[in-house]
Amino acid sequence: MIETQGLTKYYGRIPAIQDVTFQIEKGEVVGFLGPNAAGKSTTLRILAGCMPPSSGTARIAGFSVTDNSLEAKRNLGYLPENISIYPEMTVQGFLKYVADIKGVARGEVSREIGRVMERCGLTHMSRRQVGHLSKGYRQRVGLAQALIGNPAVLILDEPTVGLDPRQIIEIREMIRSLADSHTILLSSHILPEVSMVCRRVIIIHQGRIVTQDAMSVLEKSAERVTVWVEAIGSEQTIRNILQGVPGVDLVQLRGGSESTGYRFEVTGLRGHVTPNQIADKLVRAGVAVVALQERSRTLEDIFVEAIATEESLSGSTEQEP
Amino acid sequence: MRAFFAIAKREFFSYFVTPIGYVVTAVYVAITGIGFLASFIYYARISQSPAAYQYPGVPDFEETMLSPFLVFCGQVMIFLGPLITMRLLAEERHRGSMELLLSYPVRDAEIIFGKYVAALALLVVMMGGIFVHLCIVAWFATVEPAVLVLGVLAVFLMGAAFVSVGLFISALAKNPITSATTTFGAFFISYILGAVGKDLSEANPAPATWSDQARTIVGFFYRVFRRLVLDLPLDAHAQQMTQGVLQLEDIVYYGVLTAFFLFLTFRVFETRKWRTGV
Repeated sequence: MIETQGLTKYYGRIPAIQDVTFQIEKGEVVGFLGPNAAGKSTTLRILAGCMPPSSGTARIAGFSVTDNSLEAKRNLGYLPENISIYPEMTVQGFLKYVADIKGVARGEVSREIGRVMERCGLTHMSRRQVGHLSKGYRQRVGLAQALIGNPAVLILDEPTVGLDPRQIIEIREMIRSLADSHTILLSSHILPEVSMVCRRVIIIHQGRIVTQDAMSVLEKSAERVTVWVEAIGSEQTIRNILQGVPGVDLVQLRGGSESTGYRFEVTGLRGHVTPNQIADKLVRAGVAVVALQERSRTLEDIFVEAIATEESLSGSTEQEP
Repeated sequence: MRAFFAIAKREFFSYFVTPIGYVVTAVYVAITGIGFLASFIYYARISQSPAAYQYPGVPDFEETMLSPFLVFCGQVMIFLGPLITMRLLAEERHRGSMELLLSYPVRDAEIIFGKYVAALALLVVMMGGIFVHLCIVAWFATVEPAVLVLGVLAVFLMGAAFVSVGLFISALAKNPITSATTTFGAFFISYILGAVGKDLSEANPAPATWSDQARTIVGFFYRVFRRLVLDLPLDAHAQQMTQGVLQLEDIVYYGVLTAFFLFLTFRVFETRKWRTGV
């Protein structure tokens, strides 16, 4: 439903995104993740047809956003990052305006407005001016305008940014309820948000795609645990003992000497590899344990790692979107 | 087409939700009302004693009273026109609502013409005051209806041209204040140049001692400059029309000018393809 091929956008001579290629199938809910200024909004704006790419192609529901932009836009609901709605309009008036612009059949307009207002919990606010609404309600209006015309594809740029925790939960619930009937691309720089709603993530950093994996793959790698071990003894002995611990699949020497103790990084399955178990094995063998520390690999670690790897490879400078 | 109407409607009503529509209309009606009164009193004095004002007899009503008044009505747009047009596109960009608008299935033409027509509609509302004055004139004086119709048309064409220039500048500007200031500057400078241009002689300003070639070149550029200064001010082609003289040249002038600036607006709108941001 959403398809990009080699998407590149230059702002002047600075590349905001480079060679962004991904594909999102019908019915998928995909998280678009990256630190600030990674190029998320640029990519989404190109998809929404707000600006054309410098090179590359993007398709929404099979229609090119540059060559067939009207058709592409008819299949798209877009919620920009900082949504700005004419403050003098009422919620209902604004949604009517959007329905007219999107070309909702005349007889259907009031039913369509009723439907999206109910879906977004705006029915009791329909006569309020948008300028008088709280940020949370304004965000709901933003979501409501994206839903008008029931487009197949929804592109939501940081839908929960700037909201209070209760509003964040409400908006997330709303997005989750939309997942059954729409293809959704949702950008965020907050990982838990993405992990709650999405089944797949695309991580972008410094304008390039770093990872695109199913959530379950990422979560699997989060099931692994790392333990730092510092112990005094011969290097080979310690290594042999550590490798003998059930569940351990990687032992790496990270420094130290025989007199001050060696530092090892032990990686293995969570639940199987624990500091207690390692200490037990080492002490039984007569090795003096200096320090033991468990570090769980959370989704955040994977996110940071993905970004860090890319950073050391490219070493390029920070970019503005 | 529905998108065009939706945009025009929203834009037009937003003039009256924010007070700007009422304020601009009220000020325009007040200024043109004072103008009407002043020129009426002036004409009344002349017609009582023409000799005192160096007129051989009672002067022509259309030429002395009606035409200057209508041209004045158009000239007031130098000041109020920028206020009508400043928000049209600049505010969408300034506020960030342009991003949303561009994500909808609308053509550039629907956005630009929607905005333009909304501003023209406000212009028509503002001209309601002039209409009342002309009804008074038609009631008390014997004026040919054609003169009145052409007079209103002239003011409208002037206004439409002003609005197209303002729309173009609004497309360029990043916020409404720069838009209004630049538009006002452009109108006012062209008006002053036009006023100065009336005194420019037709003769070649190059001294006779210069070589023929130099004189020809200077003369050519002077002629071009003089024509521009005389023709470009938006009130330049309203004089004849407000006296009930319909010249194709004048209609074409306003038509071409308006079309040209609308065309430029389209071009500016397309520059977003290579410009930073939305």
